[in-house]
Amino acid sequence: MPITDAMIIEATMASYSRSLRKVPADVTAAIAGALETETDETARSTLALQLKSAELAERTHSFVCSDSGIPVYFVTIGSRAELACDFKSSIRKGWEKLVETIQPPLLMHVTNPLTRERGYHGKDMPIVTYDFESGTDYVEMVCSPKALGSGRWAAVELFTFPTLEEIETFVLDVAIKAAGQHCPPVVMGVGIGGTFDHCAGLAKKQTLRPVGEANPDPTLAAMEERLTKAVNALGFGPMGTGGDTTALAVHVDYASGHGFTPVAVCFNCWINRRTRVRMWGDGRMEWAE
Amino acid sequence: MTVAEHDLALPLSEAAVRSLRVGDIVHLTGEIFATAGLPTHDRLLACLEGAEPLPFDMAGGALFHLGSLNAEAADGSLSIVYMNPTTSTRFNGHMPRLIAGLGLRATGGKGGLNAECARAMADCGCVYLSFLGGGAPIISAAIRKITGIGWPEMISHYRIARIEVERLGPLTVGIDAHGDSLYDRTLATALERRETVLDQLRAARGGGG
Repeated sequence: MPITDAMIIEATMASYSRSLRKVPADVTAAIAGALETETDETARSTLALQLKSAELAERTHSFVCSDSGIPVYFVTIGSRAELACDFKSSIRKGWEKLVETIQPPLLMHVTNPLTRERGYHGKDMPIVTYDFESGTDYVEMVCSPKALGSGRWAAVELFTFPTLEEIETFVLDVAIKAAGQHCPPVVMGVGIGGTFDHCAGLAKKQTLRPVGEANPDPTLAAMEERLTKAVNALGFGPMGTGGDTTALAVHVDYASGHGFTPVAVCFNCWINRRTRVRMWGDGRMEWAE
Repeated sequence: MTVAEHDLALPLSEAAVRSLRVGDIVHLTGEIFATAGLPTHDRLLACLEGAEPLPFDMAGGALFHLGSLNAEAADGSLSIVYMNPTTSTRFNGHMPRLIAGLGLRATGGKGGLNAECARAMADCGCVYLSFLGGGAPIISAAIRKITGIGWPEMISHYRIARIEVERLGPLTVGIDAHGDSLYDRTLATALERRETVLDQLRAARGGGG
């Protein structure tokens, strides 16, 4: 039995709705951990309030944030997955049906950048990235509703043969520019190398990695650890009012490239909206986050 | 140090506003104005220049950068389903004139406002209150009644909603009416620490480039 259009539509809708109402468990655990070590009193009450908001949203099935963002999905197709679906059209249909039916309704955030008109639909919406995986028999979809609050602080810079010092200084300076405006504590994604477009994709995907999941590459794991410490040493704190907890994690990935080396940095706010669903041909749908 | 907590009734008096200090926690009860729209801020400024009347008497009021899903039913009744703060620095260019022109006693949202806004707030007797981003369930729970929707022809979060709230909060005083700003403080601290942090990164890399 193959994966059907109905399953893709269902996954598109349900993953979005879930992302808006449920803060991932790894994130609430990380915030609870930060609460134990945070030394600033205002910061501690903000972290506690964040946990309360997450708990309340999940219990009452309400949105954590009023800004439901724009629809962004990542689809990975297993080489052994049986398919009988039109991904592009089903994801579009799923989004259309979602905005018509979701309760409470979403605010209109999809913006035409040329006219600044806003609605639920627009060119290239939803934004979907497709990839393949060898050997797996399922399709994985990750939903990442994205809004201005943390989205606007992302940056890419093109270097030529940069040293690690230049790369890490850039990451720190992007964090300083964002200050505390992206609803910290954030998860930062860093991409190094590849090409302009590939590098931004690497950074973005790193914001979707669960907090606390160790980087299997020891060089990157060490870089993540020192960058997380460095960003937190800046002192912006939860919601930017000061404190030790600005980043729950800095996640880094890299790709080989030419001597021109892009470095991309982006952020997810503390509610870290992301939902992962795997689908099999027998109709099974497995949810994570 | 204990954080000072204040339960305040709206409209706020200048004395009440000037008694607040950055870091204090505030709960508000009474009527607030909420909008998240950039075009709305343009239009408010145009009102001050006489282009059209303001939708409400907002003098001495509390205008917050909050996006809300509001609606008017067929029978004319108004409702708000949820609300939550948006990034205030988007309105840095508008706020000094709006604070002075409307005589605002409170503004707020998330992320703070710049030094020019802080000066306008000190002149006028106005504070900036920091809301929890991603705090919709907590913030929306304070809504008692919506008493007006200004500019209903705009999309929901661009309209100006006049809302009666009860113990809206906890809100943190991010900028007080004495020119003190937690946002300026934290940025100054970060810039001051930058060199030390870069040294620590260098040491953690083992001294190499």
